[in-house]
Amino acid sequence: MEGEEIGKRIISVTARELGKKPEQIKYEHHFANDLGADSLKSIELVAAFEEEFDIDVNEEEALKVRTVGGAIDFFKKLLSN
Amino acid sequence: MKLYHLSDVSEPNLIKDIFPYYLPPIIKFEGNIKETIDGKEVEFDPRSVIDRDIHITDTTFRDGQQSLPPYSKEQMVNIFKMLSRLGGSNGVIRQTEFFLYTKKDREAVDACRNLGLRFPEITGWIRANKVDFRLVKEMGLKETGMLTSCSDYHIFNKQKQTRREAMEEYLSVVEAALEAGIRARCHLEDVTRADVKGFVVPFVQRLEKLTENQPEHLKVKIRLCDTMGFGMSFPNAAEPRSIPKLIWRMKEECGISEDRLEWHGHNDFHKVHINGACAWIYGVNAVNTTLFGFGERTGNPPLEGALIELISLKEELMGVDLAVMTQLAEYYQKEIDAAIPFNYPFVGRDFNTTRAGIHAEGLRRDEEIYNIFDTAKLLNRPPKVAITDKSGTDGVAIWVNDFLGLKGEERLTLMKVAKIQRWVMDQYEKEERLTAISNKELEDQVKLHFPDLYKRANNRESNL
Repeated sequence: MEGEEIGKRIISVTARELGKKPEQIKYEHHFANDLGADSLKSIELVAAFEEEFDIDVNEEEALKVRTVGGAIDFFKKLLSN
Repeated sequence: MKLYHLSDVSEPNLIKDIFPYYLPPIIKFEGNIKETIDGKEVEFDPRSVIDRDIHITDTTFRDGQQSLPPYSKEQMVNIFKMLSRLGGSNGVIRQTEFFLYTKKDREAVDACRNLGLRFPEITGWIRANKVDFRLVKEMGLKETGMLTSCSDYHIFNKQKQTRREAMEEYLSVVEAALEAGIRARCHLEDVTRADVKGFVVPFVQRLEKLTENQPEHLKVKIRLCDTMGFGMSFPNAAEPRSIPKLIWRMKEECGISEDRLEWHGHNDFHKVHINGACAWIYGVNAVNTTLFGFGERTGNPPLEGALIELISLKEELMGVDLAVMTQLAEYYQKEIDAAIPFNYPFVGRDFNTTRAGIHAEGLRRDEEIYNIFDTAKLLNRPPKVAITDKSGTDGVAIWVNDFLGLKGEERLTLMKVAKIQRWVMDQYEKEERLTAISNKELEDQVKLHFPDLYKRANNRESNL
């Protein structure tokens, strides 16, 4: 899967889960501080990413990711492996 | 001021010599305790508990029964058997005492004695008069406790006697016991409110004189009864409330050895357990307890607390089977209909149940972070979480994984249980719920979201 495609899907899932439009989501956005994701919502986001890419991720590593850009990089790396 | 530098270690120091986890936490001492008595400094060595024969005596069937509806004979026999298993073959629960006044009391003594168990030994309890003493003789017991009240509240205001009259009467019953070959255990009632130098010490000195030439098994025993819970464990507390001073006077001024000294407390000031432990530390070998602390008014030292304390002091299990404590708690609640508070240490329903999300997170990472010792192995009570709006996704993850019996890599992640946690939060945020989520409701959620795992867990359960 192309890196650009992964980025688009991360943004699309983030927008859907957080009730926002995709164009409101920026690469540098912090999930909690900028997008208002509380701890449960952050877990739900990772769960939604897992579902989107049909993959199980390492819980501890995934929940360390704080930004949209961080999530894109995380899944790019994971999916390229 | 001495300056301390940070010790930035690469590996955690979990202080395993004190918190071994496979045992309750160890109690260590680093020196003698000093006490001022009659203007002079005396020392106690708390480390002596390692070598001394410290043990527990039980009064569940006597003082314990004074606060609950009477037990049936069958219940007494069942509890007696469990006490024996709990205390083990080393006799950590050394003795238990019975009333002898009713036919049922005496039948229970016979039934327990007929079990042929070595421990706990059966002793009696009587008022210090010759009529009551006949009951002990008839029952063929080797030892009996007898009420020898010490404070002027009892002697003057209750018994309407002078100190001399009271003392002579007590001594005459002890003499009768000796003549019958029965060991007397004098219960110094209300001793923490008595004139120690004016009555208690002279009386105990007379008692000791009375039995000094007797064989060891007939030498008088002394039970220090803190009838109203006035006893104080603090070093240098004044008499008559000071437990250390009382013990010192019994040993040093009356010649009562530690193996003939016992502490009996009451919980009127929330000091009951620590006062019992204090008595052990300062030189008494026996602490008298009741199961779950049931006893007159606010109760007695809880036997289960004393057991854990003894193990912590001795640094080993001493043959105690702590899991029987869990069985006894179930028995009391189901068969005797006795209420044990849900947060009661070691046996309450929720004693190791966390509701806090942050604690649940710790529990998921390492059980030892929020569990006092290996409660699964020692008490057959693994740590649990109760699910509320405060328990977090970690709490749900623990509950679901434990319910499904999943171990190691199989355990579901926070992401997998997020839908259940969302349902939980909706209950509180949308439905404005005020109660905890029940196990049945959680089970239904598991069935809904993990039907295959649910089926597998159910099959495993039915195959057991």
